Amino acid sequence: MEKILDCLGEACPIPLVKAQKALEEMATGDILIVGIDHSCAMKNLPDWAREAGHNVEIDEIGEGEWDVVIEKS
Amino acid sequence: MSETTQTKIKRTGRRREAVKPEERKKKQLIQRIIGVIAVILVIFMAIFAQGINQKGAFIVLIGVGFGYVLQRSRFCLTAAIRDPFLTGGTELTKALIILLAVSSFLYMGINMAKFGLGLETLNLKLAAGYIKPVGLHTAIGAFLFGIGAVIAGGCASGTLMRIGEGFTQQWIAIIFFVTGTIIGKFLMPIVKKSSVLYTGKAIFLPSLFGGWLGAVIVHFGLLFALYIAADKWSRRKQK
Repeated sequence: MEKILDCLGEACPIPLVKAQKALEEMATGDILIVGIDHSCAMKNLPDWAREAGHNVEIDEIGEGEWDVVIEKS
Repeated sequence: MSETTQTKIKRTGRRREAVKPEERKKKQLIQRIIGVIAVILVIFMAIFAQGINQKGAFIVLIGVGFGYVLQRSRFCLTAAIRDPFLTGGTELTKALIILLAVSSFLYMGINMAKFGLGLETLNLKLAAGYIKPVGLHTAIGAFLFGIGAVIAGGCASGTLMRIGEGFTQQWIAIIFFVTGTIIGKFLMPIVKKSSVLYTGKAIFLPSLFGGWLGAVIVHFGLLFALYIAADKWSRRKQK
């Protein structure tokens, strides 16, 4: 299953909290794509997801706009 | 991060359309031109500030330097306090503790040079650093600031930095940031009149612990203990 979470325009802790909640409901192997444009969330979301053991990749869509792709594991 | 990264995780859904390479090149060119203009403006601003204040140019350049480091390092004071509770990550918390240790060490050196090793000649009004009264007003203010910082998505420095990055939500935050500062300016004299809220007594650790040595042991000992605690916290939380 693939889920897209639009967090464009959301400031720092919100994308992370939303991603944490979304991941809780997902099964192993599911993919969550979080769209963000806040540079601080760009650091703490991938950092947290990697430390939690998920597979994380970052896709730069444009200047200052990213898709954080998290595969739950 | 100027290149578009190719992701390896297989995605089934439609990908968000990335900005076309030609368009990005155009944007990057505009960014470079704006960058050059900004540097020239900063130089003029430094010259202008020097005319007003003897340390003007120095202050402008230090400020720009701070902004640059803040943006590049993604250092966030709000995250340093918030993340241990939110994610269990304490990397920024540890950085903040080191920052406090280094800066207080420097201030200690400046004040030692000013007043000597004894405390007989100490004059808190002339001492370097912000030696201000602590009390209930500090706790209330910190609590309010914390709520504001989390809602606004950053503290003062982080907000200013992201205004420059073009994060529009924080352009709204700056309006209220300035409004709050003005309210605070008028509220402070009222707070100062209350003996419960404001004791008016500044606490300077060397005076409190009978000299520099006591203060050094207590101050750096506390910071060290906090550092160890932060380190242990991140390990416990991530298990």
